[in-house]
Amino acid sequence: MEHFLQSIDALTIKFTLIAVLLPLLAFVINTALPAKWSKVAGWVSTVFILISCVLAAFIFSKVWNGHQVHQQMLWFTIGDTPVYAGILLNNLSVLLLLLVNLIALPVHLYSTAYMRHDEKYSRYFAYLSFFCFSMLALAVSDNLVLFYIFWELVGFSSYLLIGFWFTRDKAVFANKKAFIMNRIGDIGLLSAILVLFSMYHTFDLDTLFGQINLVGHSNIQNGLWHLSSNSVPNDSGAIVITGGSIQIPAIWQYIAFAGIFLAVAAKSAQFPLHTWLPDAMEGPTSVSALIHAATMVAAGVLLLGRVYPLFNDAELTFLAIIGCFTAFMAATIALTQNDLKRLLAYSTISQLGYMVMAMGIGAYASSLFHLVTHAFFKCLLFLVAGIVIHQMGHIRDDNNLEIDPQNIQNMGGLRKKLPLTFIAALIGGVALVGLPFTSGFLSKDGILVQAFEWSAGKNVFFKIIPILALLTTWLTAFYVARLIVKVFFGELRVLQFKPDLKLHMSDGTWQYKLPLVLLSVCCFFPFFSTNPFSQDASWVYNGLLGILNETGFAMVLPVVINIGSLLIIYFAYTIYTGKRTNPFAQTGVIFNLSFNQWYFDSIYQNAIVKPILNTSLVTFWFDRRVIDGFILLFAKMSVALSKLAAWMDRNIVDGFLNLLVKAVRIIGNFARRFQGGKVQYYLFSMLAVILAIFILKTFF
Amino acid sequence: MNILTLLIFIPILFGIVIAVMPSSWRAGFKYITLLATLVQLGMSIFIYCNFKTGAAFGGINHEAQFQFMQKLPWINLDLGPAGRMQIDYFVGIDGLSIALLVMTSFVLVIAALASWEIKSNLKGYFILFLILDMAVTGVFCSLDFFLFYIFYELMLLPLYFLIGMWGGARREFAAIKFFLYTLFGSVFMLLIMVGLYLSVKDPATGNHTFNMIQMMNPANFQQGSVFGILSHQTIFGFSARGVGFLVLFVAFAIKVPVVPLHTWLPDAHVEAPTPVSIILAGILLKVGGYGIIRVCIGIFPEVAAAHAFWLGLLGVVSIIYGALNALAQKDLKRMIAYSSVSHMGFVLLGVASLTAEGLSGAVMQMVSHGFLSTMLFFLAGVIYNRVHDRGINHFRGLASIMPRYTAYVTIAFFASLGLPGFSAFIGEAFSLVGAFKSNSVNGELPYWMAACASLGILLGASYFLWTLQRMFFGKVNLKGGAVWQTALVDLNLRERIALFPLTLMVLALGLMPSLVFGKINDSVLAFVHFLQLK
Repeated sequence: MEHFLQSIDALTIKFTLIAVLLPLLAFVINTALPAKWSKVAGWVSTVFILISCVLAAFIFSKVWNGHQVHQQMLWFTIGDTPVYAGILLNNLSVLLLLLVNLIALPVHLYSTAYMRHDEKYSRYFAYLSFFCFSMLALAVSDNLVLFYIFWELVGFSSYLLIGFWFTRDKAVFANKKAFIMNRIGDIGLLSAILVLFSMYHTFDLDTLFGQINLVGHSNIQNGLWHLSSNSVPNDSGAIVITGGSIQIPAIWQYIAFAGIFLAVAAKSAQFPLHTWLPDAMEGPTSVSALIHAATMVAAGVLLLGRVYPLFNDAELTFLAIIGCFTAFMAATIALTQNDLKRLLAYSTISQLGYMVMAMGIGAYASSLFHLVTHAFFKCLLFLVAGIVIHQMGHIRDDNNLEIDPQNIQNMGGLRKKLPLTFIAALIGGVALVGLPFTSGFLSKDGILVQAFEWSAGKNVFFKIIPILALLTTWLTAFYVARLIVKVFFGELRVLQFKPDLKLHMSDGTWQYKLPLVLLSVCCFFPFFSTNPFSQDASWVYNGLLGILNETGFAMVLPVVINIGSLLIIYFAYTIYTGKRTNPFAQTGVIFNLSFNQWYFDSIYQNAIVKPILNTSLVTFWFDRRVIDGFILLFAKMSVALSKLAAWMDRNIVDGFLNLLVKAVRIIGNFARRFQGGKVQYYLFSMLAVILAIFILKTFF
Repeated sequence: MNILTLLIFIPILFGIVIAVMPSSWRAGFKYITLLATLVQLGMSIFIYCNFKTGAAFGGINHEAQFQFMQKLPWINLDLGPAGRMQIDYFVGIDGLSIALLVMTSFVLVIAALASWEIKSNLKGYFILFLILDMAVTGVFCSLDFFLFYIFYELMLLPLYFLIGMWGGARREFAAIKFFLYTLFGSVFMLLIMVGLYLSVKDPATGNHTFNMIQMMNPANFQQGSVFGILSHQTIFGFSARGVGFLVLFVAFAIKVPVVPLHTWLPDAHVEAPTPVSIILAGILLKVGGYGIIRVCIGIFPEVAAAHAFWLGLLGVVSIIYGALNALAQKDLKRMIAYSSVSHMGFVLLGVASLTAEGLSGAVMQMVSHGFLSTMLFFLAGVIYNRVHDRGINHFRGLASIMPRYTAYVTIAFFASLGLPGFSAFIGEAFSLVGAFKSNSVNGELPYWMAACASLGILLGASYFLWTLQRMFFGKVNLKGGAVWQTALVDLNLRERIALFPLTLMVLALGLMPSLVFGKINDSVLAFVHFLQLK
């Protein structure tokens, strides 16, 4: 029996490996594909992800609510530290594995049609497959080094895809911004890993946070972050510390948290690192659907789920505040945006805020549950947006108009032209708002209920969080209604200034329709729960060990929320179909704040980017003028010194010699005169010498 | 015949062949040089494959544990009562040198391929190239300080002429600056070398010796000698061993280069022809890092341990300062030059941690930077050869006209900025791990240093991505207009042959770091063990 179980596990691991590596293979094939075969690329990637998806379903069925499967092999040894590479399959991993595949499959299918006319078709699918590989590998990585590697590769593939149309300046700015913002998060994660490694001397996720849970057994006492060996359970088999205890200053626990938070904020677009996500919409819409709505941005929440035992109460509260603020802020911005994809991007940020907040208030299972449900309906909404934008683009191209195909002010009345798209949008929208019978109801209301419960026993200030979250839900209802009404109801507004447009619009081929249908189905409750009104009955929720207390909130709150939402939706409907005049002014401070996205971009540009660039200019000036200047000065001084030496040499050393020569010559000339050849002179000089000797002899 | 000796002197044989050939055969010189480097590469791969690992092959301060050794008496003068002068021809390698040696041979092949761009005075060029080849190979193998010094100085001479004669517009200035700057460091090194010689006696023969391995053993220092550990001699009121360490460190730090001793580098790189830039960045800088580990820290371990903080600080400053300067550059080659300063800062930081992780990371970073800077300078050369311009703002949208080139640039840039999967990530990450761990293991470096250094990773992403965005993406817009557009053709076969293996290498080292770590680990552990011995 034991043996049998082991062989099943080995099979599961093998399948996981295949499921993860298939997209990588697709990437390699598509990169190497000769240009004339580029049309094959779409099918290579799609078929591979389909196989991957089937395997993921199998793995899921084996592992979900079963036992954890963990296998690793030695990757390399550095010093005394072995670094392993391995696969960890538990409920969280296999849920993500399946989710990513389930979302990626319809997006691949959709892309085969959506990108059909692009000249870099095979490149697109290569990148998309590479993303899938990184994301799947991220989900099943068993240690922090691997996790970091795939974490960054996910960001890299996102960089490639955002800037896919690299001749557009906006796209290139956006991908640079996205990568650098994500790099800030990467550094945070790296710092956290460094802290954890120097504290626990291992990178293994399972040892750190899983069954052995070293982190969970550590505590902060007297300003020290402390783990004593006897607090670690012995039966786990793999004891890492032998004797004694480990402690480092408590500040490092907070730094590890700060690092993790930065990582989460960057990947999951939380305040203050959220500004890259709206810009990232410059990529193809299918990419936005997969990466920037459903999967990559969920990686931050996945990280929170992975390292959950690290956080203490204060840190969790911090997460809740940030998540709640992000949710609210992004929702207020979404209210006034006119760019279809930007609006959806802010909605994504807002929903991610919910997830982070849920983690903060201890609603671990609800957070991940919302991650799953959100992935489906947001992906659906983006695919819808892609179709709408494509059709508006056709109108523009067919009639040589100068309109922005993404601007919802130009749209309207599309429900008759694109009926299936309209229904899909409606389903996605309703699920996003969280109305009953949808998946969004199950997950989102669960979070709100727990938020109220969480604040119940606390200081009055903590009440702000659930109230803001509740308000955000209603804001969501408003902007979703505005979006759908503006796009699908009324009349096509382009016609107002150009009535003789040629229009031939349709939902498109089956590659468009099938993904919409598939994802729409997944937006309803039966996919997740047997009971449309209870999160408790949901398999995802239970599998992640969520426990919901049946208190008064759970009974009353959903009713209040949904009645409010319905009223707001009706209100928005009447405004935007023109049945009622718009009571909100399109001017003023609050409108501008929302419309200009709370001015984050210009603040960052002026407060961070420019100072750094200026600093770099200053350091370069310093380098040239001061450091190199010193060297040149040194060189010049040497030259001056050598010139001085040369002068000395010529005028003093050599001058002395010359003087000597001169003196010798003068003396010689003087003496020469005694040798005139005349006898009188010789006699005279003999007499003079004798006289001189005589005088000397006499006196001395 | 010892294979290391053969490896070192093979280029000279080929150089002689070129020297005796008539100049009318000049078209063949580059092929001969390429053949020489290929033979060397083959030999160093052979050495790599036969390099034994295990605790018994740690090397460092155990002469018997070195491999491929050859020791011949070289200058052996009887000095009467002063004993015999003992200078040996002594070569051998351990884990610290093996990875750098293979990397050097590899980079030299690429440099030979890049030499196709040289059009004038070919005979002189290739002879100097091969002399340089011999010198850099010799440095990594020498275990006798005298021999080491000779190879070390011998590198300068061909480089001076290579920059000064085949360089860009301000080549004479750059060449003389480079030459004097590096010479400045090494003349003082000579004094320390002589001091060490007079302090150390070979226990077997009782003679003074230049043997570096014996200099590592405190017991070999004579009582009362200048650099003896127990004699506590002073020079100008400073501890003699401290001064010795400092002087050697300055000499090697100029090579690395460490801020603020780095200003020769941008000028030399900008003016040097592509193959010389490749050798400068790929190999010469590593000589500095290697020297710091083997010579400075190896001979003065207790001084290094006492002042590791300052080494680490210089590393961090180099990382941040180099990166900020790179951000401000408008010349592609200069930008790459400053990025080298930043990346070599990680080496110093990793070394300063004196931990196994940090040292391994530092060696990995050196190997990785050897390949990556080669790739970067080669790529910069590609565009310069076509239009004789490197201004970042003079190009736009190159991705549309040179897609293959852009793909390689993207790979090189992302690999350099530390994308996982490439070698630089492993090097930088483990330098940081070592730096961070250091506080709890040996207390050398404070925690904040690693945190600050990681900022360099962020800045690295900024300058590389900004350059990508400005030069390669967007709509095509070239300063030279249509003339440039026709001149800027995509990579030719030779360039692809040079770039492809480099890409493979950085990828292989990133995916299988054990290619390096497996060979160096025993030596690194031996080194860390040796540091704790004192």
